[in-house]
Amino acid sequence: MSYRLTIEPLGQTVEAEEGQTMLDACLRAGVWLPHACGHGLCATCKVQIVDGEIENGSASPFALMDFERDEGRALACCATLQSDVTIEADIDEDPDARHVPVRDFIGVVTAHSDLSPTIKGITLELAEDFDFQAGQYIQVHIPHDEAPRAFSLANPPGTGRRIELNVRRVPDGKGTAWLHDDVKVGDPIRFAGPFGRFFVRTSDPKPLIFIAGGSGLSSPRSMILDLLQRGETRVITLIHGARNRSELYYREELAALATAYSNFHYVPALSEPSEACEWSGFSGHAHEAAAAHFGGDFREHRAYLCGPPPMIEACIRTLMQGRLFERDIFTEKFLTSADAAQGVARSPLFRTL
Amino acid sequence: MNMPAAPNGPKKLSLKENYALLTRGLGWDTSYEDMDKAFPLDKFEGIRIHDWEKWEDPFRLTMDAYWKYQGEKERKLYAIVDAFQQNNGQFNVVDARYINTLKLFLTGVSPLEYAAHRGFAMAGRNFRGTSARIACQMQAIDELRHAQTQAHTISQYNKFFNGLHDPGHMHDRVWYLSVPKSYFEDAMTAGPFEFVTAISFSFEYVLTNLLFMPFMSGAAYNGDMATVTFGFSAQSDESRHMTLGLEVVKFILEQDPANIPIVQRWLDKWFWRGYRLLGLVSMMMDYMLPRRVMSWAEAWEMYFEQNGGALFNDLARYGIRMPKYHDVASMEKHRLSHEVWGIFYNYTHAAAFHTWVPEQAEMEWLASKYPETFDRLYRPRLEYWRAQQEQGKRFYNPTLPMLCQTCQIPMGFTEPDDPTKICYRESDYRDNKFHFCSDGCKDIFDNEPEKYVQSWLPVHQIYQGNCFRPGVDPTAPGFDPLAEVLLYYGYHVGEDGGEYLDSPDRRNWEQWTGKPAVAT
Repeated sequence: MSYRLTIEPLGQTVEAEEGQTMLDACLRAGVWLPHACGHGLCATCKVQIVDGEIENGSASPFALMDFERDEGRALACCATLQSDVTIEADIDEDPDARHVPVRDFIGVVTAHSDLSPTIKGITLELAEDFDFQAGQYIQVHIPHDEAPRAFSLANPPGTGRRIELNVRRVPDGKGTAWLHDDVKVGDPIRFAGPFGRFFVRTSDPKPLIFIAGGSGLSSPRSMILDLLQRGETRVITLIHGARNRSELYYREELAALATAYSNFHYVPALSEPSEACEWSGFSGHAHEAAAAHFGGDFREHRAYLCGPPPMIEACIRTLMQGRLFERDIFTEKFLTSADAAQGVARSPLFRTL
Repeated sequence: MNMPAAPNGPKKLSLKENYALLTRGLGWDTSYEDMDKAFPLDKFEGIRIHDWEKWEDPFRLTMDAYWKYQGEKERKLYAIVDAFQQNNGQFNVVDARYINTLKLFLTGVSPLEYAAHRGFAMAGRNFRGTSARIACQMQAIDELRHAQTQAHTISQYNKFFNGLHDPGHMHDRVWYLSVPKSYFEDAMTAGPFEFVTAISFSFEYVLTNLLFMPFMSGAAYNGDMATVTFGFSAQSDESRHMTLGLEVVKFILEQDPANIPIVQRWLDKWFWRGYRLLGLVSMMMDYMLPRRVMSWAEAWEMYFEQNGGALFNDLARYGIRMPKYHDVASMEKHRLSHEVWGIFYNYTHAAAFHTWVPEQAEMEWLASKYPETFDRLYRPRLEYWRAQQEQGKRFYNPTLPMLCQTCQIPMGFTEPDDPTKICYRESDYRDNKFHFCSDGCKDIFDNEPEKYVQSWLPVHQIYQGNCFRPGVDPTAPGFDPLAEVLLYYGYHVGEDGGEYLDSPDRRNWEQWTGKPAVAT
């Protein structure tokens, strides 16, 4: 038995299992609520119940007062749902979020090709149009496996029933091995989506920096194609880091865009160029390329980062020391199960980074 | 009137917008007086603030909600304290040794709550950003309440146990209480930015778990439900204070790159000062709680090395590194509590609480928690003291100790790489020699010598004749300076300090409760 929990002012709805706390349900669904102690003592996660029935659980009488219980307040870290519930939480509304509802889909593989030695491009055709915001991802169902795998959409919105994925082969990864080796043109693929809060803050007038590592290029590509198609005039800079020349996929397409649009700059960087690469571009990691391109000063920009966790962390440090902070930086981390297992402990210093 | 509802009624405001509208315009810029004259203290520290609007207010609490909230909280707290008193809850603690942690807390820490109240009131006055002023104001009121509720909660114990009768008087005079007192006064006499970095961030955020966790869980483990209750009551405020601490450093670090080295120096300084202060907590955890929660070394690993490590890993994004000498603190974790307890065992006749040699079973616990140091370095000393005591020669050190000029703790700490050798450091300043317990304390002095040469060091003050009651004649025949100092401290000599087993507290406990003086 599960209930639907709607979070205002976002308007986003998540599922909460019986006995699951509101906070847990929100965090697992990617909705951040303020929280600290996690067990009902500090009152940081206090929310207002707008509609529905809840159980207050073990909220401390010093953290959630009687008059507050009477007024319909609850501590999200302790409260469980007794019906569908709407809450109002102390979180910032994002004017650029479209809140496209999540749905289940089946797509048929119409193209399956090598973009690089480790990355497959997979195109799916759906029975109906697929609506999403550029930068969002889908959860692909892998046969005989409970956990779905997340892949960003590489195509811009508005391509109707056709979507594209860039799938990097994870060493010893079961899901990506299936997508690389077993899936053929004509096969059906089940997925749910769209998910994620990684999208361009179009209402913000500042110039944009995209930094992509490996197959993390898919979201930035979707976002940039979308921006350029809509006639974007802000300066857009894409830094794409790859190991060597053969991993630098979509290079021709992006270089052509940089020629066609004077406000778009494409900066590829190779971390391990070999003789065979005949490389005359930037040698080094993506964050080093960014520092070199902007002279270490990123003020008055917005940055969008997409790639593996070490790359994201290196970029955040570079950007922060170049005076760009949490409110200016948006990320999508690609966590494989191996990455998640060795993740470093974080403090509550940053909310989203 | 039948007004049709607007088809798309006005959009409901988010809590943040609501708060912003409610509090907007509370501040103003002075017109006939220069702003720099109205706020004369927020520039001299070198901190550059370009945009106070970037301050993210972590509180979003209005005064009317605040009174309502705290009013109910205190009604609940005092209801529990009343019940505690009516049921003679003070006799439900595990044994009377436990009360000594309360004596140390009420005389050492509760006055800091009051000092924090004063400090936040001053810092709030000196910030020109409105949100920062309001945040400091709210916290100033919180701290005043905490001082009050702690005094009320613990005052019940004063009716039955010695040493709790005048914490305010003692705090301003007693040698070991100058450690917490000087710590806070150092912060209060700095500028407003250093004060909030020191107290809101370094103390409330980085180190507070090491103070409140052992004290509150210690209370629960040892049957002191009154203290547990005020702990719960205070914790619902502490999270706001901790959030403020995080917001303060983020705000300062993001405002200007020139702020980063200044903040780093403050973090280095206040880490070490806080760590030295927590030496008192280490002995509380390992020696003073009859029922132990966890060892100091375990607490240091969990709360500083792991949680603090994650925090400094995040701060590295701003170019901030781990505080200087954090590695020394980790090297010392297996000896800190033993060295501090040794100091207090020596001088317990001049303290307002009792000390004792741990029981055999307690020594086994210490040996299991400190396998590398306890049996080798500290058990032989404790057993020697026990043997002396059994021969009627309980050891008291009749001399006065040399104090560290910075932390004001007697110089009993050891070399980082040799736990058998006392660590001595010194600096020369204006033809005088100043002494320190550690490189950390020496660095702090060397950075601001003009400040620390003014320290009110209790031992120096005794030698200078400043610690006798008015009218006392030190030249009179048979004058006993040490006995006179204890009267100046406001002690009930023969009752408040000394060996626990010889104390009236112990005799009273046995008579009143019929329970053993030392719980097994």
